Amino acid sequence: MSRTEALSSFIESAPPGELNDVTKAIKNILGEDSVQSELEPAFQKHNEEQFSLVKLPGSNDSVIVSSYNSLGERRYYDTENNSSFAYDHASLGEEASDVRSYTLESNHEDLVKGLLKTLRSHGTEHYPEYNIGVYPTNDDSQIALLTVASKYSPANYWNGRWRSSYLYTPSSSTLTGTISVDVHYYEDGNVRLLTTKKVNAKVGGGSSADVVKAIAQAERAYQEDLNKAFGGLAEGAFKSLRRQLPITRQKIEWEKISGYRLGQDIGGGRR
Amino acid sequence: MAEPIDSALDLLRRLNPKDVKKNVDNIIELNPSLEEELLESVDIPLSVKRCSSTKRDFLCCDYNRDGDSWRSPWSNNFEPPIEEGITPSERIRKMEIKANEAFDVYRELYFEGGISSVYLWDMDDGFAGCVLLKKSVKGGSWDSIHVFDAQDRARTAHYKLTSTVILSLGTESEALGGLDLSGNMVRQIEQDMAVEDDGSHVANIGKMVEDMELKMRNLLQEVYFGKAKDVVGDLRSIPPLSQTNRDRQTQREMISSMSK
Repeated sequence: MSRTEALSSFIESAPPGELNDVTKAIKNILGEDSVQSELEPAFQKHNEEQFSLVKLPGSNDSVIVSSYNSLGERRYYDTENNSSFAYDHASLGEEASDVRSYTLESNHEDLVKGLLKTLRSHGTEHYPEYNIGVYPTNDDSQIALLTVASKYSPANYWNGRWRSSYLYTPSSSTLTGTISVDVHYYEDGNVRLLTTKKVNAKVGGGSSADVVKAIAQAERAYQEDLNKAFGGLAEGAFKSLRRQLPITRQKIEWEKISGYRLGQDIGGGRR
Repeated sequence: MAEPIDSALDLLRRLNPKDVKKNVDNIIELNPSLEEELLESVDIPLSVKRCSSTKRDFLCCDYNRDGDSWRSPWSNNFEPPIEEGITPSERIRKMEIKANEAFDVYRELYFEGGISSVYLWDMDDGFAGCVLLKKSVKGGSWDSIHVFDAQDRARTAHYKLTSTVILSLGTESEALGGLDLSGNMVRQIEQDMAVEDDGSHVANIGKMVEDMELKMRNLLQEVYFGKAKDVVGDLRSIPPLSQTNRDRQTQREMISSMSK
């Protein structure tokens, strides 16, 4: 693996909210401060995949950076603010720059406006900290709907992110997409939860409310399934890996350990 | 500015724990001077080798390695064989045999399967060693790496134990999609315990490892199934937040009206 490939793999797998920490560690391992431009493609990939948020200058509004709203050449557009902006991935900064007004040209303009509104009210009801984006695809045949919800608690050694992205096809009333959850816990260790769930749904009608209803159902069902899966792993694989206590429910008498006969005392009591 | 080794360890604490082996190799490639310290201080999932004379499986780590060969705890021979590989002194090897027998029982009682290996080596003022345990099932694997040293004192010994458990769990299904919950946790403890003879050492280490694993199993359970689930709940709320906020508001009003 080349140096840039190795470094890029570190950047791409940086946990939610820890991109700067990962970059800082890389610089110190290399003893070089000048890696940021070398890694710009990796930063861009990370930001676009993670739906990173950047601030529009002079406002409190954050907007998503993703491949769905990319205009190329480090420029992105936002349908809620009717603006486009530049973002320098190598800067690792929080702010966008060079904001210009942007007029959406799409046959689905009204639907996009409607979806922005309904997807936002769905977000407000279920995500304490989140942002959304709604963008027509390049050929205008589909509409991308993104939700990103992150919570960072580095003081308590955890960070997490929920991402969902869907493509809605108005002509067939179908919705396809992916929900991903990424949780990092790193107090005296390093534990990571990574999930992906594909969504395929038929939308009941053509209105924005119908589309968001299908999203709401899919996300609720997934969260419930995920909660059950934690219980399933705890009761299943985890228990079968190591017992909490031996089948005798007693700790070992180490002074008498040579008296334990393998395959008889122990094996005999085995279920 | 932090030392490069500290930054390397910080990086490994952040990147996906599943990729730790690949990431360690990459870091060494980027900064070869970190190799020795990194291999000593980073635990990767244990690999398994078969002892050709006893036909029993044993676990491999940096502590039973000599070049590209690993010493079997069952035969004291290296696999693949090498000339004059480093082996413990006679006294320590005797204790090592006893410890392997004891932890084989421990393994069967707690893991009901899997593989165990104990390695000891001589130190100036005592000895040191590691207890390794590994089990894999469908949907998960558990690796325990307990590294300790024992300093001899009059009728007691001072033990220092560093324990790492690497636990990987995963499931994949049409309904749930892919889920991977993997990582490692590390704990340390120091303890003075009475010693009559070398048999006491094996019993003392056994007790320490048993207590530590019980603690760590509870901790892993809390983090993997409690904390991770709680964070998902912090990211997304199943009940509508407006409802939750209204309920909280009502509750607050009730409390404040009662306290008047």
